[in-house]
Amino acid sequence: MTSGRDALRTAGLVVGAGSLVLAAADPAWAQAAEGIREYGNFPVIGSRAAVWIAAQVHLMFAAFVLGVPMFAVVTEAIGIFGKDARYDRLSKEFTRLLLIAYSATALWGATLTFLLITLYPRFMSHLTGIFETSIWVYVGLFFVESATLYIYYYGWERWKEGRAKIFHWSLGILLNVWGTAVLFIADSWLSYMMSPPAEVTADTAPAQVQFWSAFANATWMPINIHRLIANVVFGGSIVAAYAAYRFLAARSEDERRHYDWMGYVGNFIAIGALIVLPFAGYWLGREIYEYNQAMGITMMGGFMSWLWIIQAFLIGVLFLAGNYYLWVGMGRIPGAERFTPYTKWMLLVLIIGVIVWATPHTMIANREELAAMGGTHHPFLGVLGVMSAKNTAVNLMILTTFLSFLLYRRANKRPAVSWSRQGTIVQGGVLGLAAAVVIFYGIYGYFVTAIVRIGFSVYQVLTVLAAMVVVLAVDLFMLRGAESRGAIRWGRMPPRSQYTLIILAVTFTWLMGLMGFARSGIRQHWHIWEVMRDTSQWAATPALGYAGVVISACVLIFLAIVSFVFWIGGLIEKPALARATSEAVGLSPQPAGD
Amino acid sequence: MFMTNLKIAIVVVLTVAGYTLIANMIPQIESEVPEELALSADASAAELVAAGERIFGGAGGCTACHGLGTRAPNLTRSTDGLGPIGARCGDRVPDQDCKTYLYTSLTDPGSYVVDGYNPIMPDADRTLPEDQIWALVAFLQAQGGVVTVTADDLVGASSAATAASAAPAAAATAPSTRDPRQLLNEFGCLACHQLDGQGTAIGPAFTDVGARLDAAAIRESILDPRVEVSAGYEAFANLMPTDFGERMTAAQLEALVDFLAQQR
Repeated sequence: MTSGRDALRTAGLVVGAGSLVLAAADPAWAQAAEGIREYGNFPVIGSRAAVWIAAQVHLMFAAFVLGVPMFAVVTEAIGIFGKDARYDRLSKEFTRLLLIAYSATALWGATLTFLLITLYPRFMSHLTGIFETSIWVYVGLFFVESATLYIYYYGWERWKEGRAKIFHWSLGILLNVWGTAVLFIADSWLSYMMSPPAEVTADTAPAQVQFWSAFANATWMPINIHRLIANVVFGGSIVAAYAAYRFLAARSEDERRHYDWMGYVGNFIAIGALIVLPFAGYWLGREIYEYNQAMGITMMGGFMSWLWIIQAFLIGVLFLAGNYYLWVGMGRIPGAERFTPYTKWMLLVLIIGVIVWATPHTMIANREELAAMGGTHHPFLGVLGVMSAKNTAVNLMILTTFLSFLLYRRANKRPAVSWSRQGTIVQGGVLGLAAAVVIFYGIYGYFVTAIVRIGFSVYQVLTVLAAMVVVLAVDLFMLRGAESRGAIRWGRMPPRSQYTLIILAVTFTWLMGLMGFARSGIRQHWHIWEVMRDTSQWAATPALGYAGVVISACVLIFLAIVSFVFWIGGLIEKPALARATSEAVGLSPQPAGD
Repeated sequence: MFMTNLKIAIVVVLTVAGYTLIANMIPQIESEVPEELALSADASAAELVAAGERIFGGAGGCTACHGLGTRAPNLTRSTDGLGPIGARCGDRVPDQDCKTYLYTSLTDPGSYVVDGYNPIMPDADRTLPEDQIWALVAFLQAQGGVVTVTADDLVGASSAATAASAAPAAAATAPSTRDPRQLLNEFGCLACHQLDGQGTAIGPAFTDVGARLDAAAIRESILDPRVEVSAGYEAFANLMPTDFGERMTAAQLEALVDFLAQQR
């Protein structure tokens, strides 16, 4: 009944917000708005901060409700095809949270729409004048997506066997299709603001802009792919944080076992997707440069150059915390102690990698700073601040994290195949060779021109990806029918491991806010890059200190509401769920990683 | 349960506070909005140059590339002994004056890409109003050359018309004074040297230069700074312009040398 009311409320909010968007799309309304005023004014914090907070919090919930269905449909598939009930239960548990999270997403979406219409009417008039068709489709998709979600969740128990289960799983896939379509449409609006087609100028009326040209603009697809992967990372990390919270609050051994396992799965998905995220980010950055070099330079070397130092620090935290969680987790796996001596070396590689990645290169500096640094490049650190060193560092960090997963995965397994020794040697050789190739191109990069050097990063990335695919393939075959050294002792995790999962989720969320600021901030004083100038009193793009405060506010608002969502979700079915799942965990002889 | 919630809340708040603190510890740079210059029709060359300097270092975003000398040529210092941009702009394209060259480079940057650099320059027409572009041209001309931009250029002159027309020469901004303290300011010496608490400590201080060098050595350091570089400043040797011999009159040079030799 509660969910039924949620459905009505969600639909109401969506219709309300959609109606306003449609009203804004109306030429007469737009003309009137343009004739009356260009900007509104939000009290105390100002229009910029108001829209910023509403957009960022909405985006965080949107990422959650788009990332979790991906998570759910994958875990449900593992449950079906692996015949493991734990995963099916896990999938259902998170789909239940989606019902409530959808309401929060719609609430913040409506808030954002209201704020945009009242505070930035001229801008909204332009945008809706171009994208009215896709706005209608967007609103329509909300209905379809919501309906699919409710059928998916409430049909869980009805369609749980045989063909009916496959049908149910296909509903989950359909839910992801709708969600992805919604994401792609929204991305077209924001990417148009960054990279409008070249033929659009300040004098071009919205009606003269070709819809598809504006929709499929230069940065649209890279942003789509980057966000899809980032949503999986985000969804996984929030799932893991939820599990950590439940673990810490658990009153029984059964609950601890269940939520320890859930935290592991969430973190596995988050870190696994994180490993490929830099590649998508690299593509997006390259497209930005290709679209407009000045925008790219503003992003990487202009007033935003310090942002990347903060980003490097945050990603360093993610890599270190993610690996730390795995290493602590190996304490509950029989046989894992044989890998303990390697962890200090992996830690060393990660720390060196973080230091290199966080080394500044060229950035805007005044004369005093130049004098203190000894030139535009620091004489000692400048050599580490170039992309050759940074790409090498991040690729080695990725390889190290992959190695951590590999060791964790095989910790309690004893291969049964006759070629296990040779297989391990091949795996070690491939990883060593990949590291050597990465280092080779890193050093070679210092002796070639910038154009050639940029191409080297592609070789490094492809080498790392290929190595991971080959090593994982060998691992899958080698561990077929492997003997167990003992069952994983789920629930035997120290509290610090769970706090690590929470820190990971907070860091992912903060990083998302930071990169949102980067993507939006590189437009500087343009609503739409070189097409519509921001002439309001809030046109300047603030410094990182102010941005940090706003991002933190968004993160705290989001986490507070998510905690509420989790609390509500915990009131439903928890005892039965934990009992059913922990029974499955207790009976399962499956080792980690399966 | 309460303690667990409290601990989690503390971990979350401390993590967020830590990131906020880091964001506030780094240098704070705000992206400025190009200001409305509202230059009047009788704006002087000095006013145009001053306005152009603000745009060059601020909202124009020029220093992101031109300030480093790696992504784009350094415009305010001499490269390859040709002098700053104002000194070399008139020789870049045959039969084209400096003003036209600079204006075209800003509004149609693909026309003249300097060898060794990529065509990454954005079109200033799309980011700056016309009067600000002219102010930029004036500032760039002032870097070692003569300012020929006038207020007339600001008023509705199209780029084509301007490129075709030979603008009337305006008053040159090359300093005519022999006052050594004014010369230090006019030639930008205090941008890198300190004297009486003024200036920046990138190059050797002028405060006691007379005690370290005689007049001949000072003269040589001004005319050909690469010959003898003060110990400890080798890394900055290439920052010192090498064209003061062309930009200063003999009287100005001697006035400056005498003045500096007295600083003990």
